[in-house]
Amino acid sequence: MKKGLSTTAILLILAVVVIAWGVKAYNNLVSGEETVSTAWAQVENVYQRRADLIPNLVATVKGYAAHEQSTFEAVTQARANATGMTVDASNLTPEQIAEFQKAQGQLSTALGRLIAISENYPELKANENFKDLQAQLEGTENRISTERMKFNEAAKKFNVSVRRFPANIIAGIFGFQTKGYFEAAEGASTAPKVEF
Amino acid sequence: MKAKLLLLTLALCMALPMSADIPARPVPQRLVNDFALLFNGRQKAELEQMLVAFDDSTSNQIAVVTVNDLEGDDVNHYAVRIGLEWGVGSKEFNNGIVVLVKPKNATGYGEVAIQIGYGLEGAIPDIYAKRIIDYTMIPRFREGEYYQGVYDACQELMALASGEISEPRGGRGEESFAGLIIFILMLVFIFWAISKANKRGKGGGDDDNIGGGRHIFWGPFIGGSSSGSSWGGGRSGGFGGGFGGFGGGSFGGGGASGRW
Repeated sequence: MKKGLSTTAILLILAVVVIAWGVKAYNNLVSGEETVSTAWAQVENVYQRRADLIPNLVATVKGYAAHEQSTFEAVTQARANATGMTVDASNLTPEQIAEFQKAQGQLSTALGRLIAISENYPELKANENFKDLQAQLEGTENRISTERMKFNEAAKKFNVSVRRFPANIIAGIFGFQTKGYFEAAEGASTAPKVEF
Repeated sequence: MKAKLLLLTLALCMALPMSADIPARPVPQRLVNDFALLFNGRQKAELEQMLVAFDDSTSNQIAVVTVNDLEGDDVNHYAVRIGLEWGVGSKEFNNGIVVLVKPKNATGYGEVAIQIGYGLEGAIPDIYAKRIIDYTMIPRFREGEYYQGVYDACQELMALASGEISEPRGGRGEESFAGLIIFILMLVFIFWAISKANKRGKGGGDDDNIGGGRHIFWGPFIGGSSSGSSWGGGRSGGFGGGFGGFGGGSFGGGGASGRW
């Protein structure tokens, strides 16, 4: 009788320890996922900031280079594609991120062409408004690369905690999945290298 | 043997920051970091003094860094990483600024970047940073007047930043006083606890209990003294307005750059 009791006690204590550990591991994963979501929101913010700059930029360039119609159309189309593509923070799979990055990368390329045509129009290049827009665009591109870097760091940290034993058991039970990354030097990060 | 081990750890510690390609945070911490040797001693001291005084009166931190080679990195990105890794600006306000200058030399163009911490992006929009670079810095840099360009730029940045965040560091002195009192109280408590444990220990048996108890007491004590370096090496007191250290501010990539 006594022996049975002590076995039950040991089992009970073990169960409590395991549950306490599980709760801790679970909470860790939740807060890690929250950090990734916050970082993602920042990424979308700065991309939106860039999209918001574009109409102004196009209008200014148009004033000096009206017949570069195909370039304007390309930018407008790429912008529409890019802003139409949003990724829900709860669904940051590698495929989703790659698609997002591709859409934004195409916009980067189109923007790069838009900036490049200013080389042929000295008056446009000297325009104060255009210079300001360029400075804003440069700052926005930097914000994009900074927030992408921070997102990648957060995602990497989270992915390690999802994969590492024994927390991966908890991650498996509650369906935590690894997040995708931004690939470096593909399109977006390098395309509109604005030379002043 | 021990000495060898110590040497090895030291070597490792020194090798680690070098593997990253931005300069390691300076020890002792300072705001002017002239790795490219563009300023003379008097200029460095004058600039440092001005920036430390600005940090003391407004809590905004401007770090000036010069390097001879960006090692292929984008000048803005390089500056952001310095800001993030050194933690320029306070954690509370994210009010740091990094002014990075790479002089025109054998490795290529002269390049300059001003990176603005999150908290100052409103006070110093990208366009303002760009104008400071284009109209204040680069014209002087072209003449080889690096110091004048950086000095004037810092003055403009200070004027803009202080309009947004102006939190004097005065509170620091009181804080360190309070820290001292807490420190003394902790010390008294530790001695009291140890002596009490010793007395009880005579009852016998629970020797490791004492050891455990001591650990618990020493834990916060040791932690306190290591983080205490911020009040131990006090800013306002001690050695006449030395730099109190970077505060862990964050950067989001706002700012501008230029080349000549």
